[in-house]
Amino acid sequence: MVNDKVGGGGMNERISALMDGELEGRAAAQAMDLLASDPQALHAWRTYHLISDAMRDTPLLSARFAAAVAERIAAEPTVLAPHRLDEQPRRHQARWPAAVAAGLAGVGLVGYLALNPQTGGVPTAAVPVAQGPAPAPKRTLIPLPSATPDYLLAHQGFSPRVSFQGMAPYVRTVSDQANEARR
Amino acid sequence: MRLARAVVVIAAMTAGSALAQTSEALQWLRKIHDATQNMSYSGTFVYQHDGRTETSRITRYVDASGDIEKLEVMDGAPREIVRTRDTVRCYLPESRVVKVDRRSGERGFPALLPERVTNLAQHYEISLGETRRIAGYDCRVVVLKPRDELRYGYRLYADSETGMLLKAVTTDPEGQEVEQFTFTQLSIGKVTRAMVKPRHATGSWRVEDTAAAPASLAGWSVSAELPGFRKVVELKRQLGQSRPAGQMVYSDGLAAVSVFIEPLESGGQVRSGLASMGAINIYTREVANHVVTVVGEAPAVSVQRIADGVEYRRPVQ
Repeated sequence: MVNDKVGGGGMNERISALMDGELEGRAAAQAMDLLASDPQALHAWRTYHLISDAMRDTPLLSARFAAAVAERIAAEPTVLAPHRLDEQPRRHQARWPAAVAAGLAGVGLVGYLALNPQTGGVPTAAVPVAQGPAPAPKRTLIPLPSATPDYLLAHQGFSPRVSFQGMAPYVRTVSDQANEARR
Repeated sequence: MRLARAVVVIAAMTAGSALAQTSEALQWLRKIHDATQNMSYSGTFVYQHDGRTETSRITRYVDASGDIEKLEVMDGAPREIVRTRDTVRCYLPESRVVKVDRRSGERGFPALLPERVTNLAQHYEISLGETRRIAGYDCRVVVLKPRDELRYGYRLYADSETGMLLKAVTTDPEGQEVEQFTFTQLSIGKVTRAMVKPRHATGSWRVEDTAAAPASLAGWSVSAELPGFRKVVELKRQLGQSRPAGQMVYSDGLAAVSVFIEPLESGGQVRSGLASMGAINIYTREVANHVVTVVGEAPAVSVQRIADGVEYRRPVQ
């Protein structure tokens, strides 16, 4: 129960921190993954920007902006539900271990530091009506590359998992699925 | 944001006490590791992934001169892989090809050293689970739960007596199963050298030598590296008959991700995107007139992030 609370309350905190440029490295990257995968998080992100734009009297907003956003959000579940189900399901559960890892690992150097409220906010606020609400789901699969068995043979030899499991994982290299790709 | 920080601090403290409790589970991991290195065995196992089940036989022979391990596919074409201390040979009877992958010089196969096992606790919450009987062996379950969404979780079922791994289940960060290996029969010991010989006479087969050798890939790098993943090796090799490629391998100590870089043939097209097979995700994209293919036993988001970070800068002369 404690975990749920941490997960739920943590999300808005983290998004707000991301917007304010307070997150660094790994934590920022995780927060951005969250935005890409969780419509609720994205909603919070947009809402915060809306608030901040409104407070600053940003002139970009059209009169219908909020209504259009609301319409989009209302339309989202129908459009996105199939993707969320099989591709990015229920990420909230894993959020608290992520916080633990971030806490333990300290600051990682990841190239996402460049993000700040300006670059993150203005385009998001200016174009969503034209561009559609969510980042494109990135899980449309393409067929396995024809060289898959070669890649796997080259790769398996470096998997530390072989230390635990002997060569069983090598079966992937000769598996039917990998070798069908070759034809 | 004060609340958020307090949450992180409390979480870290909780994790600290959890670390103390994992020591027994870590000992089990070492036991599995040692059994894998030291035992002779033969058995049948199934590999289940993407709604498929494939049956294979694995035989491992250990003597003073080292170990030899053979894997044979039981259904369809009798493909085989034989691994000695420094070479993997992959026999493909349909195309009459032997692929040979050698480890150069001092670099054998990447053993996860027992003392490094402890480091895994940085990225995985390691605990002991229930006891379960598998293929006639009473097994203890060791659970590795990822601490973030960048790696898979594992459930390892090891024989209580010997530590031999009878079953390994890979789960995504949400706990859904993505693939599993399960022995349906296993006998420990009683292996002769003849049992690990390849069955195919390959005199007339084509040999594809990967000619892998450590080398630096000038100009290539991965800009945003993945938290917890370090580059462990960088090399050049051949893929297939004679396609030169560079390879960089990143690992968190348990999972590994390889980046392959091949020159794009003139007029060649790159099919960008994500493909997957069991726990393996493969992301392909074009960078600086090269095909970059990232292959890893890691969630799609990790493989794609590494792929997106690959960049080329012309080296300064």
